[in-house]
Amino acid sequence: MKKRYLPIAMFAIGALGLTACSGGAADTAEGDTLNVWIMQGTNPDTEAFFDTVGDAFTEETGATLNVDFVQWADAHDRFVTAIAGGTTPDVAETGTTWTAEFADAGALAPIGDYVTEAGLDDDLVDGLVESGTYDGSLYGMPWYAGVRSIIYRTDVFDELGLAAPTNWQEIVDAATVIQAERPDLTPFPVAGDAEMLTYPWVWGAGGEVATLEGDEWVSGLDSAEARDGIGFYTGLATDHGFSTAGATTWKETDILDNFAQGTVAMAISGSWTPAALLEKAPDLEGKLGAIAIPGQTSGISPSVLGGSHLSMFNTSENKDLAWQFMQLMTTGDFAQQWADQTGYFPGTKSLLQTSMESADALVKPFAEQMVDGGGALPVTPKFGAVQAKKTTNAMIQSILSGQKTVDEATADAAAEMNDIMNGN
Amino acid sequence: MRTRPWLLLAPALILLGALLVWPLVRVFLFSLQDYGLREIVTGESNYIGFGNYAEIFANPMLWTVVLPNTIGFAVVAVSATVIFGTLVAMLMASLGTVWRTIVGSAIMVAWAMPAVTGTYVWIWIFDADQGLVNETLKSLGLMDESFNWFTNPFTFYAIVVLNIVHHGFPFVAITVLAGLLGVSKEMLEAAEMDGAGPIRRFFAIIFPTLKPVFSVVIILSTIWDFKVFAQIYLMPGGAGSNRDVLNLGVWSYVESFGQNRYGFGAAIAVLLTVLLLIITAIYVRTLFKEEKE
Repeated sequence: MKKRYLPIAMFAIGALGLTACSGGAADTAEGDTLNVWIMQGTNPDTEAFFDTVGDAFTEETGATLNVDFVQWADAHDRFVTAIAGGTTPDVAETGTTWTAEFADAGALAPIGDYVTEAGLDDDLVDGLVESGTYDGSLYGMPWYAGVRSIIYRTDVFDELGLAAPTNWQEIVDAATVIQAERPDLTPFPVAGDAEMLTYPWVWGAGGEVATLEGDEWVSGLDSAEARDGIGFYTGLATDHGFSTAGATTWKETDILDNFAQGTVAMAISGSWTPAALLEKAPDLEGKLGAIAIPGQTSGISPSVLGGSHLSMFNTSENKDLAWQFMQLMTTGDFAQQWADQTGYFPGTKSLLQTSMESADALVKPFAEQMVDGGGALPVTPKFGAVQAKKTTNAMIQSILSGQKTVDEATADAAAEMNDIMNGN
Repeated sequence: MRTRPWLLLAPALILLGALLVWPLVRVFLFSLQDYGLREIVTGESNYIGFGNYAEIFANPMLWTVVLPNTIGFAVVAVSATVIFGTLVAMLMASLGTVWRTIVGSAIMVAWAMPAVTGTYVWIWIFDADQGLVNETLKSLGLMDESFNWFTNPFTFYAIVVLNIVHHGFPFVAITVLAGLLGVSKEMLEAAEMDGAGPIRRFFAIIFPTLKPVFSVVIILSTIWDFKVFAQIYLMPGGAGSNRDVLNLGVWSYVESFGQNRYGFGAAIAVLLTVLLLIITAIYVRTLFKEEKE
């Protein structure tokens, strides 16, 4: 009895599916809604920005744009929950380290063909393409990028007759003078819970974080070069006393807070921070300088290129429409406006060129760092696990607190990294 | 077969089954799998037997750092909370109505403070560079160089104990106070006439009368203090960068959710539940045994 209804039911479902398909293939997306998740806090005026984008999007495609704003802190959990429940948005902003992770899980749709069709292949910023590529396909559309360099107090340097350092020894020399002449300042804080501030010294000394040899990841943290760099960096605190007792457990944000309070002379900081700093501490106006992180003897020490992609989820029912939105956001006027408002750099080379030519003393050094000294961390979800376990942070903190020597701490960290990246 | 009692119980049983038993069963099933983001996306299961459990027990970190920290902390924190809470309750019992209300409202504020807010207040008090404690010690000449209280596991957990006791004692105080008001005044007066001092009166009359209250308070505090997470995760270095201060809560978060290994996390959750059940069972048993004697 029941069986007789089955073919009818199947036919009905099939018919529904067909109509759904034909709806998607129509030329106009009139009446459709595109759901998008964007992280909050990057742009001080995110909502106004997306009101404008929404109007332009509707004008161009006829579809409505529905943007949800998500906090960075609980974004990862929300993505995982949405993936589990099948309620992911069409397009979302994904942090560069998440794109490979979600792609590996099979939650994202590849966008390489769209990019080629739009003729954008050669225009995307290399570092962001690298972190957005997983298993040979592009999943993350480069949107904006930031990089860390050194910011310093120009008023202090002028007062003491110091020049901006151009190699590691000059950092020590300058900090020694500041330590002697301005005891109220922390010359160069070394934060114990901020892994991103560690890698420039590893790369600058010629070391590697981890490299793929055949099928196996090999951590380079215990190489002689990496030890040299890490030893120099932690030595700023342990040998020279340029840091403070509190910095042993500081995060990156603590450095920024202390810099805003006017107690720090030099620090590694992101390209997106000077604007925020000046807003927090207007009296620092005109007293802020930036330089690319100097190389060990000359040149630039590479630092991690961070930022965000726009990614398309597999569940999106109208991928063409999703791509139209991604292209609208990442190229042309809106990309430029976003970069101007946030202090980040755009994800296309043509727009980045404009930033490079900027005369602003707080933009140019970062742009220089980004183009000539951008480094990439291993692109594998396993490295996300290393970050979650805070392998690098634990290494730095144990050296700063005197629990381990540089050799012990780097050996332990390298062993742990190898374990996580090759195991289970 | 008597069906009516079951019929009457059915709504409650179905609700409990759906909301409590089924999730518990699911957690146990997850704990037997290598369950990550990929499995969430595809919805496939991936059974690996007791592999997760074997990995937990083989982890040296668990035996050398995580368990000693968790158990040591729970013992100290539970005793401190219960002792301090009881003392406050006895103080309140001896006060008049007006002062009891004032003290009661004051400790309620400590109880109502969200764990995150409270933790940050303690972090600021002990901040190495600008904290109240270091500033005071330095101005008194007791300390020359700033000391970072968060890098040493003992001072780290001393601060956590302060935080937890501050946040947890009001519950003990209010519960014990309710019991104290029920202790017969005649018995206490008679004991006093017979020459029993306050300490003797507490252990001979008050404590035996309040035993059920204390058992509830101790079991609940033990469970809470075993699972403590936010108060440690938010402390400087407590989120995993200082390996010496990891406890069960933070360790399981870092090892499982941080790395998208939900099966592994489920296995830790199952073990924690079993451990707490055993502690509770032993405690309840000894309590009933004593009552029978």
